[in-house]
Amino acid sequence: MKIAITGGKGGTGKSTIATALALELSTDNKVLLVDADVECPDDHIILSTTREKVGDVHAILPSFDQEKCLKCGRCSEVCKENAVVFIKDKYPFIVSKQCNGCGACILTCPSGALTEGQQVIGAIYQGKCQQPYLKQEHDLLLLWGEMEVGCENTSMVVNATREYAENRTSDYDCMLIDTAAGTHCNVISAMVDVDLALAVAEPTPLGRHDLELILQLLKIMKVSTKIIVNRSDIGELKLIEEVSQENDVPIIQKVPYERDILKKHSRGQPVIHKNIEELAYVLSEKS
Amino acid sequence: MKTITVLSGKGGVGKSTVTASLSVMLANDNKMVAVDCDADAPNLALVLGLEDDDFDSWESLTTGEKIQLSEEKCKSLKFCPKCQGLQKCVDACKYSAITWNQEKDLPEINDLLCVGCGACVLACPVEALTLKKVENGRIGVGQTRYGFPIVSGQLKIGESGSGKVVNELRKKASEIAEDIQADYMILDAAAGIGCPVIASVRGSDYVILVTEPTPVAFWDLSRAIELVDHFNIPCGAVINRCGINRDFTYQLQDYFRDNDIPLLGTIPYDIRFVEALVNLKPAVIYEPNFKKVFEEIMDNCLLDMKNIF
Repeated sequence: MKIAITGGKGGTGKSTIATALALELSTDNKVLLVDADVECPDDHIILSTTREKVGDVHAILPSFDQEKCLKCGRCSEVCKENAVVFIKDKYPFIVSKQCNGCGACILTCPSGALTEGQQVIGAIYQGKCQQPYLKQEHDLLLLWGEMEVGCENTSMVVNATREYAENRTSDYDCMLIDTAAGTHCNVISAMVDVDLALAVAEPTPLGRHDLELILQLLKIMKVSTKIIVNRSDIGELKLIEEVSQENDVPIIQKVPYERDILKKHSRGQPVIHKNIEELAYVLSEKS
Repeated sequence: MKTITVLSGKGGVGKSTVTASLSVMLANDNKMVAVDCDADAPNLALVLGLEDDDFDSWESLTTGEKIQLSEEKCKSLKFCPKCQGLQKCVDACKYSAITWNQEKDLPEINDLLCVGCGACVLACPVEALTLKKVENGRIGVGQTRYGFPIVSGQLKIGESGSGKVVNELRKKASEIAEDIQADYMILDAAAGIGCPVIASVRGSDYVILVTEPTPVAFWDLSRAIELVDHFNIPCGAVINRCGINRDFTYQLQDYFRDNDIPLLGTIPYDIRFVEALVNLKPAVIYEPNFKKVFEEIMDNCLLDMKNIF
């Protein structure tokens, strides 16, 4: 079973829920947790994992042969990212950080002056949980992507991280995917082909607003979705209940904002809570 | 006019809270425009008490492009002396947006994954694929009750290119800023450090880094600082929710001192910030006692900018 943990709004508790749930599930199941927030992956901090690099993520970067260049400027015309700067009668200049690796310039170049080179746009890491206070055995592996700072093609790093994870699904009973905040391409790539999405939301007007957006996206993506209310005792719960009813997406669990949870959060530790335990039970029944 | 961008890396640490209250304070003595650059999940207008219907105008954006397939042209594929079933479009797409449907013997385009780069158009020898303009978002302009305008946007759900929406937001805001001869433009960036954030940071005069004293926020902040350094933009820091981890707050203070990042101010952990959000009011309006906190941040920020420029 593949479950995405998402939510739209930043800081709503995606990583808190994802890591807590992964820990609960991994007492009885082999769990692969994938942190697909490659801009700011946090799960490895919360779980204090080891950090082992499993590979770089590459994207195409056009490599340029001055001798073959006709200075026609077509490469610059087709580039949607303005990564190829062309001034008449000069050689084109490629701004590597701005290049999204689509390869359009290479395809359009009439003289073969541009060929497929590579640049590193991120890396994939894996690690085992090392929290010393955990009482039980956990069969949990964390896999995460880290985008190079300054790169813009986040979704390619997400795709590569997911592809790496997909090749290992047979070793695991359950895959959890922790997505980035927002609703754009990196979040979409993280949720392609999942069996279930858990949308984490807090009961504030902002939480409500962003939950509506992510539910719209999940509907377009035709992903079965459930809502988890985080910090359910702050704000007004009815804000989320209304969205749940209007969109016909059930709330399956609420996690309160208890002092102990806040303390764990402030120390960067995973949360252990009976409501997460219940949630893990419900989800493992399903799979 | 100076552009100040509020940034954090991690989501939910208080960017919109800080932006809203700073904007209210700045607007007391200055002309300014606020811009919500989180086109994925825009919240700033809500914090300033504006819902969608309260905006003066909304205009749709068509800066996005998607691929369109002409099945007719492609159906000749098997007999096409140029392609001969090589599925060149599938190879050309580096975003996994095109797969080959064996049954139909046609390419299948996943609109959600298509970024509109046009590589497949160039790869197809029979011009079966074309790029068409699509609506990818909208931009709204509204007037807050605190004496300054706000520009906000929304990426259309399922479309790509939030960075492009941010570029349009900034263009619109610049027009307004020129009209009213604004002194400051304040941008509330998205979470993360990807393309919408880069579009917000690029060309800014100053960055306010908002963080909270937790290991997770610090890790994300360090990536945000790397980004700010990459663009070589001066910055100052604000520590939000100081009370939740005192030891870590001291560590953060040391970190900022060691890295020559001025600490513009600290914000206590107080449930009234949540209450302010629930009531859709900027914190300094909901609880006037918070004015001192944000006044200090504003003064330090303006002073630091004055020293630089």
